[in-house]
Amino acid sequence: MHMADALLSPQVAGVMYAASAVTAGISIYKLKKEEKLSEEPNYKKLPTMAVMAALVFAGQMINYAIPGTGSSGHLCGGMMLTALLGPYAGFLSMIVILTIQCLFFADGGLLALGANIWNMAFYGCFVGYFLIYRPIMRSKMMSSSVKSANRVKIILASMLGCVITLQLGAFSVVLETSLSGITELPFGSFLMLMQPIHLAVGAVEGLITSAILIFVCEARPSLLKDINITDEQRSKGSVKAVLITIAAVALIVGGGVSLLASGNPDGLEWALFGNSESGYSENMGLDEENFGVESKAAERAEKIQNKTSFFPDYAFSSDSENPAGTSVSGIVGSVMVAIAAAAVCFAGGFFRKRAAKKKKSN
Amino acid sequence: MNKAEKASRELAGAENLAHGDSFIHRMSPLSKLAVTVTYIAVTVSFGKYDFSALAVMALFPVIAYQLALIPVFTCFRKLRMILPLVCAVGLFNPVFDREILFTVGSLRISGGVVSMITLMMKGVFSLMASFLLAATTKIEDICASLRKLHIPKMLVSLLLLTFRYISVMLDEVSVMSCAYSLRSPGSRGVAVGAWGSFLGQLILRSSDRANELYESMVLRGFNGEFEYTRPQSGGAVSWLISAAVIALIFTARFFNLTEALGSLIGR
Amino acid sequence: MIVFENVTVAYDRGAPALHSLDFEIKDGAAVGIIGANGAGKTTLFKALTGLLPFEGRITVNSVEVAKKNLPGIRKMLGYVMQNSDNQMFMPKVSDDMIFGPVNYGMSREEAGKRADEVLGKLNISYLRDRYNHKISGGEKRLAAIATVLAMEPEILLFDEPSSALDPKNRRMLINILNSLGETKLIASHDLDLVLDTCREVMLLNEGRLCAFGSAKEILTDKALLEANGLELPLRYQN
Repeated sequence: MHMADALLSPQVAGVMYAASAVTAGISIYKLKKEEKLSEEPNYKKLPTMAVMAALVFAGQMINYAIPGTGSSGHLCGGMMLTALLGPYAGFLSMIVILTIQCLFFADGGLLALGANIWNMAFYGCFVGYFLIYRPIMRSKMMSSSVKSANRVKIILASMLGCVITLQLGAFSVVLETSLSGITELPFGSFLMLMQPIHLAVGAVEGLITSAILIFVCEARPSLLKDINITDEQRSKGSVKAVLITIAAVALIVGGGVSLLASGNPDGLEWALFGNSESGYSENMGLDEENFGVESKAAERAEKIQNKTSFFPDYAFSSDSENPAGTSVSGIVGSVMVAIAAAAVCFAGGFFRKRAAKKKKSN
Repeated sequence: MNKAEKASRELAGAENLAHGDSFIHRMSPLSKLAVTVTYIAVTVSFGKYDFSALAVMALFPVIAYQLALIPVFTCFRKLRMILPLVCAVGLFNPVFDREILFTVGSLRISGGVVSMITLMMKGVFSLMASFLLAATTKIEDICASLRKLHIPKMLVSLLLLTFRYISVMLDEVSVMSCAYSLRSPGSRGVAVGAWGSFLGQLILRSSDRANELYESMVLRGFNGEFEYTRPQSGGAVSWLISAAVIALIFTARFFNLTEALGSLIGR
Repeated sequence: MIVFENVTVAYDRGAPALHSLDFEIKDGAAVGIIGANGAGKTTLFKALTGLLPFEGRITVNSVEVAKKNLPGIRKMLGYVMQNSDNQMFMPKVSDDMIFGPVNYGMSREEAGKRADEVLGKLNISYLRDRYNHKISGGEKRLAAIATVLAMEPEILLFDEPSSALDPKNRRMLINILNSLGETKLIASHDLDLVLDTCREVMLLNEGRLCAFGSAKEILTDKALLEANGLELPLRYQN
């Protein structure tokens, strides 16, 4: 699900960077506060976070055979990291993993890093923990033994957590790409392409995660968050509440999206910026023209936008006058650039070889 | 060779490149970062039909790779990571956007085809640029420049420490995968029965490792501060060069240099 | 001087890992700590360095091992861990070597100088700018010893120093250990190494002190060793 730089416009990338940076800032603040309150020396978390982040990174290289399909899947590990480290430390560790992937493995891009952190770490760590994992793990569950109750809770939390956070992540990828005006694919169709794939990915991730967490829980429960908790904390959680929240959110989001997607083929642009013919824009209050005039904040935003206007607003305006007239020289020029690039590579290779020979003969 | 081993080699490969000695390697890391980010932001900001104006952007990374004494091909195998999603997004453009933009001879080129090509060019170019940054900058220099950008100490220390342990963990996973596959010939991966215990065992061991790591840090007087800043050289010159390159990048953004070149030949 | 007075270490569950230990180690001594797996060798080191809570009283150069004295105690003790990877957490060998001294208030330049001296002394100056994850197991062990020596401790603790070393590196390690004048505690299964480096030996079994005396005497006492799950050093086996 790593997004490449090419799928984002600089504006969207900037917004996602800002959102991820704010979340990271809050996480660091919370961790520092948490450490002040605890009795343990306040720098013990760092090595644990580093080793677990490295572990999840390496764990992504393990192939898991999926029974009955003949194929294999692998783990992303966001939910697992959250269960091991908690949301704030988990989020920071995921940032580090994604940064290393971006820099040294070219997985995702430098500009897209903010969006990737949001899509893969934010949902897994915060939505996954606060709305799903913690309430489920703290809930009272009727069962013959603590062991089997824990098993059921872990399976429930991992499955729901992984599937839902991956759905949210995939939804964000679609949203960000569409807002960047990269694809001609209508928003609804793009969504229909991405969500089912990630449903399967999420289910596999959930199964592997629950298997691992059950093993850890039974071997060394102290490693998992919210396993050994007091009765007072226990009352705070409830599986029912989680399920109701999820159902409500799913209904609203699913209903809204399908309404928009099916009702209008133009998709997202229509959805967000309105269709003046139908008079929908006034209702949404997001029409570009109307939006700018009404509030001071919007005015300021427009000023900033004007300043940065060398980035074309390509989702909503036509790009260049008419490329057809000038296209021939454009193509000729492109071919020349390609030839020049090849020549540069060739020359570089030649000099490298000569330098290597020199080194050898010395 | 299993996946973990491949990843380990890939990491070592990128690191070896970063220890090269060239003009680009010696530039101040922060100035390289500035150029790279500008380059990528400008590259992706081109219009979706502007493939010809975009083409000239290829020259920046291609020349930079030569100056860094790194073959351009080293970054191409990294493309496998990002191309799938870019393709998935781009391949639909020709289907939905059939308006004919121009014709070459009898061949009619639709807007969708052009925007697909433009998108892929953007993907390749920005990958080339960000990989070059990693391939010419050592991890500790990256961390030092992140600190200069006021990225919180905790995050930077975590990055440095995680990077150190990734190779250790990759080795562990690689040995475990190897031992597993030796005892289960022909399997595609870890069987369901071992899903939990395979990584679970490693988690238990890693927790012990983290504990020991903490102990060894504490024994050497660690008190929350992590030393990693180091002197850097070549500040002014590399900033001057970077500024010039950034100016060139913006020139390429505002003037269609490719077309100018083409029409020059056309006449 | 290290003094243990009635020291007991109990883990959360199960039997105590160390059982009312009483002993004294004089300055400049070289003591081998031997015992089967799980005898409590590592636990002893961890209690001594204040990493594990214990009952009883431990003093190092008449300073008691207690929370308020830990920074001073840890500055006196240099602990070379069994797994060098866990001890070498910085990117480069030189980074790791200045980590400790800088934390104890030394300037980077001074610490760098001291690192160079130690590397020269151990004949591994070539490792200075190498990366921790790119050096061999033997080099890692020597580098880990160097990081500890750079802190100029008065007492050195070695946990399984010869594990995973090839014969040549092991020989080199023995020479290095013998060249160090500090008080040394060497916990090892490698009884031949203990014989080559220590004059005294402490024999532990299931957390209890079974024997403490001359290395020659204890390591040739077949009955005593076998009663405690050990065997004679290789050179005494025929």
